[in-house]
Amino acid sequence: MKPQEPIPHNYSMRTLNLIFALTSIGLLAVTGAMVFYDYVRGWKWFQLEFNRIQQGRIEQELRANNDEAMRKQLAALDKETREGQVEIARHRDRYVAAQKELEEWEGRHYAADQDYRFAKALLDAKRYEVEAAHVQHRADEHQKQREYDELVARLASRNLRLQQVTRDRDAARARVGVFLANIQKVEDRRKELTAKAELLQKQLNSVSFPSANSLILNAPMVDFINPTLKIDQVVLNDLFIEMNYMAVPRVDRCQTCHRAIDRPGFESKKEAERLLTELRTKLDKNLIEPSRRADAEARVAELERTTKASQDILNPFRTHPKLDMFVGSASPHPLLEYGCTACHRGQDRATEFGRAGHTPMSKRMEMRWKKVSFPLFPRTKDYEQRNWGYEVNPFLDTPMYPRQYSEAGCVKCHAGQIDVEGAEKITKATHMVELYGCHACHKIDNWRFSELQKPGPSLEGIAEKTTPEWAYRWIANPSRFRPTTRMPSFFYQRNMVGPAVPPAERAQNVKYQDAEIHSIVTYLFKSSTRRAWSAPTAAGDAARGKELVESIGCMGCHISQDTIKDDKGVVRVAKRDDFPLERHFGFNLVGVGTKTNPNWVFNWVKNPKAYDPLAPMPNLRLSDQEASDITAYLISLQKPRFMQDPMRPPDPKAVRELAKGYLINTMTDRDAEAKLNAMPLRAQLEYLGQRSIEKYGCYSCHDIRGFDGLKPIGTELTIEGSKTLHLFDFGFFGDSTHTHDYGNDDGEKEHVLHTVPSWIYNKVRSPRVYDDRRAKPYNDKLKMPNFHLSPEEAQLVTSVVLGLTKEKVAENRLAARDPRHRASEEGRKLISQSNCRGCHVVNRRGRAIASMIPDPNFLPPDLTPEGPRAQSPWLFNFLKDPTVMKIRPWMRVRMPTFQFTDNQAATLVAGFAAEGNEHQFDTTQFLTPSAQNIAIGREVFTMLRCQQCHSLTQVDPANPPIPNIADTQSLAPNLTLSKIRLRHDWIADWIRRPDEMIPGTRMPTNFPRDPKTGGFQSPLALAMDSPQFAAQKAALLPYFQDETALKKTMGDAVALTNYMRDYIWSIGIDRMRSAGAGESTPQRVPLQPQPTTPPAPATQETRLR
Amino acid sequence: MTFLKNFVNVLSVASISFILLSSVFFIIVYFNLMGGRLKSKGGIGFVVFGAILVVAGLFVRPLLYLGVAYFLVLWALAGLGGRLWDAKVGKWMLIFGGAGFALSLLDGNFFLIAAKPDNVPIAAMIFLLGIFTWIALRKAYYNDQAILAGGIPYEKTESDEKLFTWPDLVYTEMLCMIILTIVMIVWSIGLRAPLEEAANPTSSPNPAKAPWYFLGLQEMLVYFDPWLAGVVLPTLIIVGLMAIPYIDTNPKGNGYYSFRERKWEIGVFLYGFLVLWSFLIITGTFLRGPNWSFYGPYEFWDPNKLEPLVNIDLSELFWVKMLSMPLPKLWLIREAPGLILVMLYLGIAPLLAIGPFRRFYQKMGAARYYVGAYLFLTMLALPIKMVLRWLFNLKYLVHIQEIFLNI
Repeated sequence: MKPQEPIPHNYSMRTLNLIFALTSIGLLAVTGAMVFYDYVRGWKWFQLEFNRIQQGRIEQELRANNDEAMRKQLAALDKETREGQVEIARHRDRYVAAQKELEEWEGRHYAADQDYRFAKALLDAKRYEVEAAHVQHRADEHQKQREYDELVARLASRNLRLQQVTRDRDAARARVGVFLANIQKVEDRRKELTAKAELLQKQLNSVSFPSANSLILNAPMVDFINPTLKIDQVVLNDLFIEMNYMAVPRVDRCQTCHRAIDRPGFESKKEAERLLTELRTKLDKNLIEPSRRADAEARVAELERTTKASQDILNPFRTHPKLDMFVGSASPHPLLEYGCTACHRGQDRATEFGRAGHTPMSKRMEMRWKKVSFPLFPRTKDYEQRNWGYEVNPFLDTPMYPRQYSEAGCVKCHAGQIDVEGAEKITKATHMVELYGCHACHKIDNWRFSELQKPGPSLEGIAEKTTPEWAYRWIANPSRFRPTTRMPSFFYQRNMVGPAVPPAERAQNVKYQDAEIHSIVTYLFKSSTRRAWSAPTAAGDAARGKELVESIGCMGCHISQDTIKDDKGVVRVAKRDDFPLERHFGFNLVGVGTKTNPNWVFNWVKNPKAYDPLAPMPNLRLSDQEASDITAYLISLQKPRFMQDPMRPPDPKAVRELAKGYLINTMTDRDAEAKLNAMPLRAQLEYLGQRSIEKYGCYSCHDIRGFDGLKPIGTELTIEGSKTLHLFDFGFFGDSTHTHDYGNDDGEKEHVLHTVPSWIYNKVRSPRVYDDRRAKPYNDKLKMPNFHLSPEEAQLVTSVVLGLTKEKVAENRLAARDPRHRASEEGRKLISQSNCRGCHVVNRRGRAIASMIPDPNFLPPDLTPEGPRAQSPWLFNFLKDPTVMKIRPWMRVRMPTFQFTDNQAATLVAGFAAEGNEHQFDTTQFLTPSAQNIAIGREVFTMLRCQQCHSLTQVDPANPPIPNIADTQSLAPNLTLSKIRLRHDWIADWIRRPDEMIPGTRMPTNFPRDPKTGGFQSPLALAMDSPQFAAQKAALLPYFQDETALKKTMGDAVALTNYMRDYIWSIGIDRMRSAGAGESTPQRVPLQPQPTTPPAPATQETRLR
Repeated sequence: MTFLKNFVNVLSVASISFILLSSVFFIIVYFNLMGGRLKSKGGIGFVVFGAILVVAGLFVRPLLYLGVAYFLVLWALAGLGGRLWDAKVGKWMLIFGGAGFALSLLDGNFFLIAAKPDNVPIAAMIFLLGIFTWIALRKAYYNDQAILAGGIPYEKTESDEKLFTWPDLVYTEMLCMIILTIVMIVWSIGLRAPLEEAANPTSSPNPAKAPWYFLGLQEMLVYFDPWLAGVVLPTLIIVGLMAIPYIDTNPKGNGYYSFRERKWEIGVFLYGFLVLWSFLIITGTFLRGPNWSFYGPYEFWDPNKLEPLVNIDLSELFWVKMLSMPLPKLWLIREAPGLILVMLYLGIAPLLAIGPFRRFYQKMGAARYYVGAYLFLTMLALPIKMVLRWLFNLKYLVHIQEIFLNI
């Protein structure tokens, strides 16, 4: 056979081997890369970085701890130890013997202990056998019972033996201890000294990196056992996240990166400063328990260090602000129970920046977040420059609330509350929504926004009040007449006449808009009642009227200016933000004279409910002269130039076209033409007016005849915050990757981010913006009116809307969950609806009128402690009819008659009581103090000179004499009115701590707190002996055993105030007039017969369109 | 630049790009594989077709773009002739194609589509398809030339040589495996395997796209009823692919590349795979945006864009538009025109068997012929329906709601 020819290879083996070698190395490398990539997670870096920060802090603390004094002490202890050892060496023989004996005893003890435990184990096992034998009636039943009894006996004897041996062993230990006692003591002291350092060292070991432990525990593949870097989570079993079709408990992993969120000491500088001020005030006022004082002082020192540190702590390592309110373990929202996403939203289980749902608050923030210096994992530079490699993710169902809207998260649980403590923004925001009437057009189905009054005045009698000419100009541009008005602008907005609208269409739109306004005015005046109001009965004096308006309390709800001087003294047009919200409750008085007529004003101020039984304006009980003066003043407030604004007549063609547009919805073109031909222009206007009121939803805010029972016009907002991004029409404002700048209605540049909050913000800021560049038929254009909200106002409104979600909260997590809370909230709601805060402080907020009354002595009272203060029957009567008692007859501001129904007054009384955590009913009125107490009280009363301000003369509660008001400093209520008005126990409490109850009250603090104990001090203990009180001392002595007892009582503030209360109780009157029953039913002036037939109600079809 | 982009955007409209692609297919077959000349009878036919396009383009603007592109391609490919298969020409085509793609990436809108991790394989697929098809056809062309000159195919010349399985085959295979694994790992790390958020049935992404290999099917849904596009046609594709070895009994071309000896087999396959299937996938990936509307490659995917819904059924076309009468109540009568058309279409096969395709019929025998012919007709139904849709807005030929039968 021929030897086979060598067959050549197709490829060079060398090359193939080389390729094999290289690719194998490459495969190894990419496999390594795969593991590495899986291993390197962003959150691990954050944990390491936080550990580094902690390490630095601990090392610094260790250094501070190991100072000169400490070293000296330790050296001294070393010396003592050595001395002790020398001492033992001297008695070496005896020590060794004792030691040996102890060892023997230890051995015996061990054995005895084991015997005992084994015996017990045997007994336990035998017990089962006995029981089983009994149950099964086995033959060896008795045998087992015997064995069991033996074991019981054995255990008893073993126990006895163990006790004996233990005693002996302890004796042996004591004998050895004699020698070691000194050394032991030294060691104990050393432990005490080094305890802190040891603890720090332990902490240091757990955070230091790289250390052998952490490297091994966190190594890839090994790190499933017990890594030091791991995901931290809280499972929230009763707070749910909606996972499409299913609500699952939240598992918040935020602290995986936000390491210090519930740990004080990592505050930002700003927050640290806020805390410092707060804490220092508390320390100064002795409001901190003495036992906690040292801690508080240490905290102050820590915070001071933070404010002075060279570097500010950045997120994610910051402590949560307001730790006493949120997240902190002692706060109402501890981390372990509420987590993070329940309030902030976001994807609870995600541990990656974008996936977790972080949402930028501005375009600038978005740009900064989008940057990334290294795509795989964050680095220090990213952390410092806030670059997170953020990507917009339109598919996140629940992205976080951007920072400026973070209080939106409160609404979910606190929607049953009017004020949310600690959340000032959302409290103000909900009040604003209520006042501006968002709920009127947009149904919001929750307790907070249901059953509220319509925000606008009734228009059923508009013809009695004003003229069509004024109404036309007003509807066309309300803010031109009153720059601060709450009435929004419906007409001539950016989608009608804006720069983006083509000129030809613009001209057409103007004609249409003119026609619509004319038609609305025509309809309103046609459907209006025309009652004849009587003329003012007296000649009015405008100057006196002005004085009255500014002093009797009108300014709690009204403003009468449309310009304002800013800080630099420049006069500019006033904005709503310039005044407290409460003063927008009533309309701005500017231009009333131009708007209305003297007859109407006179009757309105005399009795608002006569014009409209539901009018929110209360009755100020004006005399005819006062009403005439006020009328004269209000009529003098003219804005003549407004009435010179052009009023274009309606274009008949435009009216016809618009009317036809509605008619052809229900009939053919020919029928519509025929019908229009039969209608004169006025009839066409009336028809169009009715349709336009329907179109713009005027009836949502105003009572208009012929529109009863229509549904509100706007989109329902009940779960608006839960809507996903794709349900929002951004128009031509791009998609997720584009942000767009646009000029808003104030001419400033704003932008639309592709997020829900940004959409809502821009919608409320510039309601027609999403019509930009769209070609829509006239009636399809957006019609939400422009409220001219400032950016701040728009943010507030947005946060409320964002907070309205469908996320369900377990009952036990709701803020207002018990009857007491409910009662207090119902009260607060009525307080808000009646605008009590215009004049009063309630819950430390309010008194908008304060800026109008320079002398604080003439301010309406603070109602914060009204619950524990006032007796319910009195409060009920007073609310129903404030004339039953004049507590401060010198006041110029009048408590108006609100004409509350019995129900409303009872709601308020119950609300105040619940607020103060008091029972609604008590029997204190019938208490009779003992004569002795009264006598002591009288003397103390004299000594404290209370009668300098408080009168003690009994008077007619409804009509007391006015004291000398020249000395405003000494004006105080007549104390004889107290018994019927105040709660018994409250009086003493009030005398003790007036300033704590009502900060800034004029009632002096006679019993200051002791900074050390926190108790009350009495000045009388010392003053007692001064000669000026000799008479009182003499009078008091008989009531006490001896002088010591007297002195003791005089030093006891609680006892003294109780005596004073008894005295005040004894001098009070028992009776006053009750509120009349008829007061609460407002009478409506009878209507004149209607001149025309009422308009046909809107049909279902047309409304649906 | 804007003009160029607009030019490409217009050319990408499905109707235009499909016609252009089909034309290119026939041009290549005629001029570059079969050695056709422009000045021959067939060549003039191609020119006439182009002229028709241009004349039509004077009335319908996009067709003008198509005409221009068509003449450019015709001129270039006919001019190249057999030189299309030169290595140098291939290299330059690849360079131009790659450069065009790279330049396109500079366009923001195109970048968003092409760089989406889901779409990266399809971008790669376009190039791989082009390169491999070109290499195969190049080999076929040179073999054809050799056979024409009386020689033997290249593969025959090396068929006597022997190689070891190891290392020449297995070793290289293993190397390929390793390299491919490396590429896959690097790819999955680099593109961050695109998992998205938890599915929410109330908010689906727009456009909602199938995985890339199903995009052809999804695109077919535009033209056919779901039971056809989603059930019948895919089944027939698989059955057809399995049937190929039994239908194709041509012994020529075994073991070597050749086009002339198997022009029907290769032609039909390449048309079905490249011009239909791959075209649909590429369209579905790059050119279908929000609401499954059509977008040029450089166009912004604006979700506000709407396509008018003006498609009509053949029955409406016939009864209402042509005869101006209401639709007959009885569906058999109503759909008679469509049914007759479909019958006629299916009746073509026997007609052809006695007509021009008699040779095939004789060679293949009845069973093979009919199976092959009906598979072929089914495949051709797709472009026919597409063209009918584009030209007449035709929705369905047969639309029988009563029994859920739509063709």
